Amino acid sequence: MEETKKTSAHAIGTAALITGIITFVLAVIPCVGIIAIIPGIITIVLAVIGLTQASRDNSPLTLLISSLVIGIVAFLISFSQIFVTTRLVRHTDKLPREIRETIKDIHDEVVKDLEQSKVNIRIESNGEVVEIQTGTDNKEIKLKQLEELEKTDKTKTDSLPEK
Amino acid sequence: MSFTEQFLTLFRKETYITVNASLAVIILIIFVYFALFSPAKNNYPFTCIHEELTGEPCLSCGLSHSFSLIIKGRITEAYDWNPNGIRIFLFFLGQLFFRVVFSYYYIVAESIRKQLIIYDITGSCFMFLLSFLPFITYLF
Repeated sequence: MEETKKTSAHAIGTAALITGIITFVLAVIPCVGIIAIIPGIITIVLAVIGLTQASRDNSPLTLLISSLVIGIVAFLISFSQIFVTTRLVRHTDKLPREIRETIKDIHDEVVKDLEQSKVNIRIESNGEVVEIQTGTDNKEIKLKQLEELEKTDKTKTDSLPEK
Repeated sequence: MSFTEQFLTLFRKETYITVNASLAVIILIIFVYFALFSPAKNNYPFTCIHEELTGEPCLSCGLSHSFSLIIKGRITEAYDWNPNGIRIFLFFLGQLFFRVVFSYYYIVAESIRKQLIIYDITGSCFMFLLSFLPFITYLF
């Protein structure tokens, strides 16, 4: 029974060491390293369970302590990647804001240019010519002219003359 | 006792052999994984968070492509995908070699077992630092 308990502590220690080594290698890879938090926790838990069992059975602790140290270091490296991700999120938040500001600037410039420009619309239909001129200089006058034109046109129908 | 029998007995008893064999199997699985996925089809299950968020590649971007291309023997293309890919791949390849060689000498030469473990740990740490130095400097 004693031998079985020793073997289980030893097996747990071995598993913790293997998980710890893999976690350590994974943790130092940028962006991917954040995933190593989970195996890091598993390593620490395994090492702690193994240590508890080994201290009860008076079996050697070297393997378990080394796996616990590797697990903790790997977990800390992996955890530090959260700060790298935070830096990234800040960076990404900055990008859309810059895009929004640029679009707003372009929109304002286009509206400003349109307000200052003069637009001429000339419509010819059955010999009648309607000319609309827009611009900033006489905007109100042109609006009145447009309203008058609309009033006069109300009597006319858009339908084709009957044969 | 044959070498295989000796290996199996030590695999059950000696932690060093168990760890070595497990790590060798894991490295082989990694190589098979990268050999299975095609860089042309871009069918890798994991994508980079950095590239997804910012649209800009990070230091580890293209590592999967690079590994697959190295396995297929296209070294120049692998370097183009990620300049660090070759050194990381060499680390894993070196580790596979270390696991096999050190396990062999651990079984054969009983008198120098402790020395072998010390050499292995020192060599592996040095190799790790050398291979992952760009990533470590990027993180800290």
